[in-house]
Amino acid sequence: MKFQLSALLAAAGIMMSAQTYADTLDNVVDRGTLRCGVVLDFPPIGYRDANNQPAGFDVEYCQDLAKSLEVEAEIMPVTWSERLPVIATGRADVVFGATSDTLARARTVGFSIPYAIYFSQGVVNAKSGISTFEDIQGKRVAAALGTMPEQEWLKIAEQWGETNLYQSYQSENEVFLAVAQGKADIGLTTNTAVKAITQQYDSLDPGPRMPWTPDYTSIVGKRQDITWLNYLNLFVTHQVRSGRYNELWSKFVGADQAPELRIPGVLY
Amino acid sequence: MFDYNFHWRPVLRTLPDLIQAGLTTLEVATLSMVIGILLGLCLALARMNMTGPLKWLAVTWIELARNTPALFQLFFFGFGLGAIGINLTPYTIILAGLSFNCAGYLAENFRGGFQAVPDTQLKAARCLGMNAWQAYTRIVIPQVFRVVYHPITNQMVWAVLMSSLGMLIGFRELSGETQFFASRTFRIFEYFAVTAVLYYVIVKLILAVSRLLAMRLFRY
Amino acid sequence: MQDSISFFTGFGINDLLFLGEAALKTLWISALSIAIGTLLGTFFGWLLHEGKLVASFTIAPILDVFRSVPLIIQLVLFYNFAPIIGLNFDPFASGVVILTFYTAALVASVARGGIEAVPASMRRASRSLGISYWQDLFYVVLPIGGRAVFPAWIGVVLGVMKDSALVSVLGYVELLKASQVLITRTQEPLLILAIAGAFYFALSYPISRYANKFEQRWSK
Repeated sequence: MKFQLSALLAAAGIMMSAQTYADTLDNVVDRGTLRCGVVLDFPPIGYRDANNQPAGFDVEYCQDLAKSLEVEAEIMPVTWSERLPVIATGRADVVFGATSDTLARARTVGFSIPYAIYFSQGVVNAKSGISTFEDIQGKRVAAALGTMPEQEWLKIAEQWGETNLYQSYQSENEVFLAVAQGKADIGLTTNTAVKAITQQYDSLDPGPRMPWTPDYTSIVGKRQDITWLNYLNLFVTHQVRSGRYNELWSKFVGADQAPELRIPGVLY
Repeated sequence: MFDYNFHWRPVLRTLPDLIQAGLTTLEVATLSMVIGILLGLCLALARMNMTGPLKWLAVTWIELARNTPALFQLFFFGFGLGAIGINLTPYTIILAGLSFNCAGYLAENFRGGFQAVPDTQLKAARCLGMNAWQAYTRIVIPQVFRVVYHPITNQMVWAVLMSSLGMLIGFRELSGETQFFASRTFRIFEYFAVTAVLYYVIVKLILAVSRLLAMRLFRY
Repeated sequence: MQDSISFFTGFGINDLLFLGEAALKTLWISALSIAIGTLLGTFFGWLLHEGKLVASFTIAPILDVFRSVPLIIQLVLFYNFAPIIGLNFDPFASGVVILTFYTAALVASVARGGIEAVPASMRRASRSLGISYWQDLFYVVLPIGGRAVFPAWIGVVLGVMKDSALVSVLGYVELLKASQVLITRTQEPLLILAIAGAFYFALSYPISRYANKFEQRWSK
């Protein structure tokens, strides 16, 4: 509580020098903690375990990164729509949030090389009668606010003239709840979550794969901070080389082989 | 000095959409006020004049509405009712939640208003040969209305402010629309700053209209 | 998939503790903001009363903004603005700052009403008995005016306590946020919402009853 009181005092009058934190790497090592934004709404990549503690693939990655820097990891739960602003405003050093590396986002934040790959897939209400992508026409679609499936879906919905049937929720879990309760017919999520979710609910079935491209997701850091982004790139390659990537992927996602992170036909 | 670059252009480009969403906010707030006033009147009358289950329903409604957070009430109408198979759209959730809340608060205002009108007025009206309906609608209610006019205006402002919770249940009124745009451009600060100004304007407009109306209605 | 990992687990004893802890956080953030906000608001109220024209052009419009913009917008705005000017506030600190000013804005008009509730003749009488300005303020205005506006102040307190639920949008795990976390994990919305609602009600209802009783006794 001491910190918070002093923070209040700071607000009361002392205009702290708004110095630019040019080098996150130095700052993190100096501070001794890595402030790490994670979306805890995305089982099995990020979720809360039975003790309400953060757990999942992204959480482990965050701890691995902190370990590599020999600092403490401070897990900061963020929502889908918050995960990029926390970087832009400097509240977090790094975000692991299954963030697709879109060009639009790259105007605001910096991306590492891809550290995980997902496919968009739906979970459908068992009574909805959706089995192929075309069946979605005329049905109510739900997704989490600020995610890539939302943006991709809205493009298609616009062509179909069905944007009014779209619902956005604050969290992916709310999407699943909404579909299970019958508020929506199909919820858009990623392939990794589908298995866990459909096992949990009797009323949910795996739905069709979405037609857009696979989701290459990257670690997010401050755009201007190239040395930090370089470090993150190196971290990703080391995770793969040491076999940690495969180990964590099979632990949480359950697949035998983690997907190849290389983009076919591109050198980088 | 700042380690942050302000981008106002995307916000200004979507300003027409935001203003449109502001109208949605007004629509929802007005509708829930109309429903709230009607229900609030019924609740106040039930609380004062009834006995048995109807009275208890009214008391429970009023106390629940006044003693739990509005956001909690919205969650209840959303996922709470969903759990027992009643699925409302975001629009009906916000409308139901706001009406429920406004009715509770307004009921207490009405009760105070009724208590401010002496019983003798009603008796006098009945003595003059009016029936109960006439006595209420022509003598009592107009006086009550004068007493509760200001609380109603305040409640209308509250309804506008409360409708901002729509953004947490996926309803695209002014705040929801703002959050939606902000989530696409990541310009949270810029968008919410503009929205704050829009809310301020809406609230001032309501107060101005209310003052003008009061001048017309309550001339002595 | 290994059996040892499960992403959704039922509601257990742990979770009751989790909710209880969150309830304490609700109490703590409300108590802190209400305490500081009341002091600050009383001071503003005094300024508004004494400052007359100057105050009505300086602090009055600023306080008005806090009452005319939805709390949720204020919170998001401040939370995202603080780091831009180099203040690294966590959700708790941002919540306290905004809730404090919000409380202060509401208390200011209550306090001003309290000061004005004391008849000028009484204050002149006390001054002519030889008491200083400050003695008059503390021994005459505070007890008499304070009692007159005590129910209104309780209204503000309860309002802020319920509105503290909105700090959840910043990710501060208070009662409502905790119940949201549990709902998404256990998928039992009705049970958890009922527990959370019961807690708010148990906190708010007795206080509002007490304020009502106080008001009735006072008005006799």
